[in-house]
Amino acid sequence: MSDRSTQLKNSINQKLVETGEKERLKDMLRQRLTECGWRDELKEHAKEIVRERGLQQITVDDLVKEITPQGRQLVPEAVKRELLAEIKKFLSSQTQ
Amino acid sequence: AKWCVCSVCGTHSPRLHACLHCVHFACYQGHIQDHSASMQHNLVVDVEQGQVLCVACGDYVYDTDVGRIAQACREKSRRSLGLDTEYRAWEPDQVEMTLLQANPKRRRPTANSTIGLRGLINLGNTCFMSCIIQALTHTPLLRDYFLSDKHVCQFNNDSTRCLVCEISRLFQEFYSGNKAPLILHKLLHLIWTHARHLAGYEQQDAHEFFIAALDVLHRHCQGNPPSNGDSTHTCSCIIDQIFTGGLQSDVVCQACNGVSTTIDPFWDISLDLGPCPYGTSKADKTVPTSLADCLDRFTRPEHLGSSAKIKCSGCQSYQESTKQLTMKKLPIVCSFHLKRFEHSNRLHKKISTFISFPEHLDMTPFMSNRRNNNNNHNGVTTHPTDINNRYSLFAVVNHVGSLDAGHYTAYVRQHRDQWYKCDDHMITRATIQDVLQSEGYLLFYHKQILEYD
Repeated sequence: MSDRSTQLKNSINQKLVETGEKERLKDMLRQRLTECGWRDELKEHAKEIVRERGLQQITVDDLVKEITPQGRQLVPEAVKRELLAEIKKFLSSQTQ
Repeated sequence: AKWCVCSVCGTHSPRLHACLHCVHFACYQGHIQDHSASMQHNLVVDVEQGQVLCVACGDYVYDTDVGRIAQACREKSRRSLGLDTEYRAWEPDQVEMTLLQANPKRRRPTANSTIGLRGLINLGNTCFMSCIIQALTHTPLLRDYFLSDKHVCQFNNDSTRCLVCEISRLFQEFYSGNKAPLILHKLLHLIWTHARHLAGYEQQDAHEFFIAALDVLHRHCQGNPPSNGDSTHTCSCIIDQIFTGGLQSDVVCQACNGVSTTIDPFWDISLDLGPCPYGTSKADKTVPTSLADCLDRFTRPEHLGSSAKIKCSGCQSYQESTKQLTMKKLPIVCSFHLKRFEHSNRLHKKISTFISFPEHLDMTPFMSNRRNNNNNHNGVTTHPTDINNRYSLFAVVNHVGSLDAGHYTAYVRQHRDQWYKCDDHMITRATIQDVLQSEGYLLFYHKQILEYD
């Protein structure tokens, strides 16, 4: 991992956090994923897994490992595009 | 933000954790575990969420105090960035938890469920009441309020006196799963008692019933007896929270251009359908054919003629003026009344022209800030549509027949956007096309996005 790209990533992240844009984008993403039913579907799946394995036997890591593939696959294309567009818009406004 | 990077690899990884024993930040993917192992520091916290991880146990551990502190910190950081409060899903409190455990049976509506649908027997020209009850029982926020038993009765739960108690009981009946039609004799009696002008056996106007019902509900909701000058601005009853909007009226003096602004509360918008009787511009001569046309005309500046001069407080004289109505505050439920029955003019006829209305409505072009920002009426400015002004249709009341012999029916949107036609005791499935092609007398729209104050 080159120092230059890490530096760039960190400075972009810093800008995103300090302007509040990161939080705003996360809010927007949360809302879109709730609207399309993604959140509920994944929640159901997670509940099933906990019911199967037992609450005391399961860890957060186990759950994350189990539901991540489905989670990634179920995100609608439109949501991905919208988020990407918003990020691009923000970045272009920053290099003014 | 600048310092929130991993002490080991210098990147800002997605699950950065902070050691609770010393000052050290590290990535979840190995670096923090290494730190804990080498330093014997077992407790670390996720910097984004505030969850505490015990590296020795390999899992997150929970404590109510820590949870509270984490939430308070997140709130503080959001406020400093100028964001609204974080959305928190409902969690039951102690009382609710006990109730839930005591009543383990859960009802889960399937896709084809007919929950919320019940017919209403016609007691002799009572279809004007049935259609409004259908619309109210399918108003999402109102349904949520009554199904969560939020009503606190000021008449000691005497359902023979309190209209809100009776409506609450009706909601329970509608959503009980029982499919038999209901007989609304109790409701009818309550309305006759509290809204005398509606008593009698002839057909009444559904719109009048709607307003009267809201009025009685509003009065019965208030904790204290209403004082004179019933200020609906300060009332926070469920009716006002859902149905009350603010209508801004701007009167501009033609002599000195002084503007006098007032804001009045409203529960519904009544829209004229015929040609404008006193208009002079070309636009006024045309007849509206859509809801948008009606709203356009409603919010257009209107020249008050020489016979209606207003005393201007600016130039202290009687001058001609223009008046314009715009929406200052939008209610959660927007009710539109298409004035198909003109009782005032000589023609006692029903205006049956088809007025098209959309499934989704954007109220942005009719808002007050549009007027306040640009005073030139001719400019067709493109405003960025605010998603907070978007509405969805959920009920339509139709009148069939003539002024003397007519019948009311309603279309309501039920569970999973399935539409149903309610014709007294007969409930049948309908399509959105059926709804949009119907004549339309009362149109009910619900805000798509709700904000938490």
